[in-house]
Amino acid sequence: MGASVMLEALEGIRATLWPRAFKRFTGAMLLLPAVALVLVLVAGLAWMGDASLHLLDTETFETGADYTAANYRQMGGQATYWIVLGRSILGAAIVTLVTLVLAFPYAYVMVRTGSAWTRKILLVSLFLPFFIGQVVRAYGWLIILGKEGLLNSLFGILGLGPFKMIYNYPSVLFGLVQYLLPFAVLLIAPAVTAIDEEIELASESLGAHWLRTFRHVTLPMAKPGLVAAALVVFTLALTDYAMPVILGGGTNDFIANAVYDAFFRISDSGLGSAVAIVLVLIATLLAAVILTVLGSGTLGFSAERR
Amino acid sequence: MNRNPIDRRTFLQGAGAFAATLPFGRFAFAAEPAKPKELIVRVWGGEWKDAIDGGVSQSFAKATGIGIKYDETEDNELQPKLWAAVKQKRRPPVAVNWDTTTNATKSALKKMGEDLSDLPNLKGLLPVAQPLGFEGYPLVNVYSYVYVLAYRTDAFPQGAPKSWKVLLDPKFKGRIALYNDGIGFHPAAQVAGGGKVEDIPKNMKAAWDFIGKLKAQKPLLGEDPDFTNWFQKGEIDLACTIVTNARGAKKNGVKVAWTIPEEGAKVDTDALWIPKGLPANELYWAKQYVNYALSTEAQQGWCDGLGLPGVNPNINPPADMVGDPAYPTKPEDFKKLIRVPNRIQVENEKEWFGKFKSIMQG
Repeated sequence: MGASVMLEALEGIRATLWPRAFKRFTGAMLLLPAVALVLVLVAGLAWMGDASLHLLDTETFETGADYTAANYRQMGGQATYWIVLGRSILGAAIVTLVTLVLAFPYAYVMVRTGSAWTRKILLVSLFLPFFIGQVVRAYGWLIILGKEGLLNSLFGILGLGPFKMIYNYPSVLFGLVQYLLPFAVLLIAPAVTAIDEEIELASESLGAHWLRTFRHVTLPMAKPGLVAAALVVFTLALTDYAMPVILGGGTNDFIANAVYDAFFRISDSGLGSAVAIVLVLIATLLAAVILTVLGSGTLGFSAERR
Repeated sequence: MNRNPIDRRTFLQGAGAFAATLPFGRFAFAAEPAKPKELIVRVWGGEWKDAIDGGVSQSFAKATGIGIKYDETEDNELQPKLWAAVKQKRRPPVAVNWDTTTNATKSALKKMGEDLSDLPNLKGLLPVAQPLGFEGYPLVNVYSYVYVLAYRTDAFPQGAPKSWKVLLDPKFKGRIALYNDGIGFHPAAQVAGGGKVEDIPKNMKAAWDFIGKLKAQKPLLGEDPDFTNWFQKGEIDLACTIVTNARGAKKNGVKVAWTIPEEGAKVDTDALWIPKGLPANELYWAKQYVNYALSTEAQQGWCDGLGLPGVNPNINPPADMVGDPAYPTKPEDFKKLIRVPNRIQVENEKEWFGKFKSIMQG
C-alpha cells in the first residue's frame, strides 16, 4: 500500500518535471551528459589548438599574438619527438598484445569455473589493484625489482645477481601490463559470459578439439570484448605518464611525458599544446583503425548493428 | 582610498627596527592589518619542508598566531596555476612561493609578483639576494646552493674523485645520476668537455659532446627525492645533485660524501616571491613572513636545516659544513664555482632542455 502511494507520488513529480508532451525528447535528454562531456573535451581541445598556434617569447615568457605553425615545425624537426612517439606507439602495441593474451584466459576461467571459491579469488585479485593507485603499484615494483629489492635478495641467496631489472624500457612495459590487465579482464569477461557454453559443447561434440573450438567458436564470439579491451588498453598505454617516469629511469619517456615537459618544465604552453594535439590525432587515428579493422556490432563503424 | 590604517612602507620599516630589539616583537603592533587564519606557502618536500618549517614557519606562527600551511605542489606544476590566477585576477593558490630563482625570474618577467623592495630585512644582505635585471625586488634570493658531485664512499676507497670525467668510467655504467632536465650540469659538462665557461650560452659544443658521451653510461635521470632514494637503495654510485640531497642521504646513514671537482661546479640560488592578487591584509602578512625569513635568526635555522649558505651574512655554517667548499661564504669560495646569470638560464632553458632530451631520449 505504502509502496504504491510512493510510486504515485514519484509519478506525479515526474509528470510535473517532464510532461508527457516532452516524451519524444526523452532520448535526447538522456544524451545530454554525454554531449556535455564531449563539449568540455572539445572546448579544451579548441583552447589547446589555439594555444599551439602561438609562439613563446623567452624574453618575456608571453606567447605572441600572431598565428604561426612554428610549434608544429619545431616538433616535426626534432628527432626526439619522433623517437618518443615511436617508443610510445610500439610500447602501447606490445602492452596491448601481452595484456590481451594474459587477460583472456583469466576472464575465461573466471566466467566458466564451476568453483565459487576460484571465481571469488579471481574476482578479488582482479579488483584489489583498483584500490591501489598506479603510482603506488609502480613503487611496489621498485621495491620488488630494485638492485637491493626482494627478487635480487632471493637471487643473492642463490649466489646470483644482482640483476638490473628496473629503469629500462621492458620494466615500463611490464608495469603497464600489470596496471592494465584488470581493465582488459573486466572488458573481456562480459563478452565471454555472453557466449552460450552449449555452443562450445556442441562444437566439441561434433569432434572439434578444444583448440579448434577456441579458435573457431570462442574467439570470434568474444571479439567485441577483445576489441573493446584492445582499444582501452592501447589508448591508456599510449597516453600513460606515471610508469615511464617511475620505472623508466628518465630515459624511456612516452609522449605524455614530453607534453608534461613542455607545459611544466619549460613553461611553453604552445609547444605543449602542439605535442598534445598531435598525440590526440594519432591516438584517434589508431583507435579508428582498430575499430575499422576489428570492430563489429556496437564497436563497429559499419551501419549495420549486429 | 587607502583602507590601511598606516602606510605600509612606514609600518614595515618600523617593524624592522623593532625586530632589531626583539626576536618576534615586530609583529606585535596594535595597528597591524587583520591577521589571516593561515598563510599558504609552497615548499619542496622532505628535508626542504622540514628546514623551512623548523627555521622559519614555526617561529613565525608562534609570534603571530598565523598558521602556516604548506602546498607541496611541484614548483613547475604550480607555476601555470599561479600565472593563470594572476592573469584572471583570482586569488592565487599560495601566498608565498618558494621557488627556484630561474622559475621565479620567469614569473617576474611576466610581472606576476609583488614588489618586495620595502622589506626592512633586505638591508645588509649579501648582493646575491638581489635579482639581476629587474628594478626592485619582484623576488628575493634566499640562499645559494651548489650542484656537487656526490659519491658513495664505498665505491671510492682512495678518496673523492677529482674530476667530473669520473662519470665516464665504464665501471660506473648504469650507476650514475643526473637531473632529468640536465639542470645544474651544463656548466660542469662545458668545462669537463674542454670548453670555457665564458662561451656559455653561445658555444656549448663541449658540454653537449660530454653529455653525449655520458648517454653511453646509461645514467638515471630524476629529481631531488630520487637522488636520496637511489643512494639509499644502492642504485647509484655517483650523482650531480644539490648538496642538500647528498647531505640528506648521509644523515639517513647512507655512506655518501661530496666534492667540488677540479672543473668547478654550478652555484645557483632559490628565491621567495609573493604572487599578485592577495587580499591586502594577507599580502601584508605574506611580506612579514618573507621579511622574517631573511632575518638572521630565521636564516640560521632554515639554512642549517638545508646545509646551505644563506643571504644573511650574519649566520654561521652548521657544524658539519664548516670549511666545506659546497658551503661558499667568502669571495674566494665562489672562485671555484660557476655562476650562470638567471636571465641567461631563463632565455636558454628551452634550447638546453631540448638538446639534453634529444641526447638522453635518443
